[in-house]
Amino acid sequence: MKDHDAVLDVMKDSLGAVTMHTPIEQIVAAGRARRRRRRLAGGVASAAVVAGLAVAVTSYGSPSPSPGVGASAAGGVHIRAAAYTVDSNPDGTVRVTWDKAKYFEDHAGLQSALRQAGFPVLIKVGEFCRGPQDDGTLGPGGVGEGVDRVMKGERSADGKVTFVFTPSAMPAGTQLFIGYLTPAQQAEGGRLGSVERLVPTEVPLTCTTDVPPHS
Amino acid sequence: MLKRIGVVRQLEFEEFYRSDRDVCLRAVLAGVGDRQLAEDLVAEAFTRAWMSWPKVGRHPAPRAWIVRTALNVRVSWWRRRRREVGLDDAVEIEDVPAGERELDPTLLAVLRQLPRRQREVIVFRVFLDLDTAATARVLGIAQGTVTAHLSRAVTTLRGHFVIEENLEVGP
Repeated sequence: MKDHDAVLDVMKDSLGAVTMHTPIEQIVAAGRARRRRRRLAGGVASAAVVAGLAVAVTSYGSPSPSPGVGASAAGGVHIRAAAYTVDSNPDGTVRVTWDKAKYFEDHAGLQSALRQAGFPVLIKVGEFCRGPQDDGTLGPGGVGEGVDRVMKGERSADGKVTFVFTPSAMPAGTQLFIGYLTPAQQAEGGRLGSVERLVPTEVPLTCTTDVPPHS
Repeated sequence: MLKRIGVVRQLEFEEFYRSDRDVCLRAVLAGVGDRQLAEDLVAEAFTRAWMSWPKVGRHPAPRAWIVRTALNVRVSWWRRRRREVGLDDAVEIEDVPAGERELDPTLLAVLRQLPRRQREVIVFRVFLDLDTAATARVLGIAQGTVTAHLSRAVTTLRGHFVIEENLEVGP
């Protein structure tokens, strides 16, 4: 017969191998998105009461195209790194280039730069995340539904990719997930280089190292 | 200057998350008996902590704040789910991460069957290592009640471990 403390010790040990799998980036991004929405909601409500209408003004001094997520909070961001460049456009969009050969080196930096520019994004390498309501279906090229509204891009002849991100088109409570395939995963996944899908910001995501099926 | 304060706060929070997340997860798992639900609840509690980090960071026991919040969220989620889909407190199929396959499903079932107060006492007294007085303060009950709940919980758990031992030894 085990004594009182021994029973509790055994029970505690039984759960000793359990560890959290939710990445810190997801926690911080979710909290930040909620704070931003609260500020926007509070600001819009206050302005509506005082003036009858809300006007969002960017740091460029021109009207924002719409008071969408992050559009007015971003200001002008211009970042140059070896693997990417990030530039806020006067119309509220964000122009990004990245070098396909170097994006593994600083994907965290790219994520941070895009967030600074007001575009909510979660970037991982070798790991693929989706929300609880997402059935995992991806379209051609590993792109999920709705991504084309927030991200449009083209690749130039020198291998650089130019994208235009539109923060104002991002649905509330949502961020873009970008999952780059590792070289080993690319070898298995054919021509696919990355996966993009919209994921919720406020709920834990399901992440796996298995490359999602795509058409 | 404000940006630097923000960076420092985020670093503090990230350090807190990395150092305390697993302890909080195990405590909440003991409280709800469901691996995936525990992960979701702890993630939600840490998100709320980050949103109020200037306050939570100064809390005398931030770890207890996380666990208390997670268990409170659980109650509200459960009520909402009950309204939405009309389910009773059914046992869910768990998505156990690789490396945790050895998690004892029978122990989790036993924990789920304990009365709520007994589970809460286990959470704070055993998994967060609070003493009896602190556990009583967190739960808003008398110290004697903490001791009584813990004793009853141990009796139930002892039965589980005795059965497990007998199964291991065999006939």
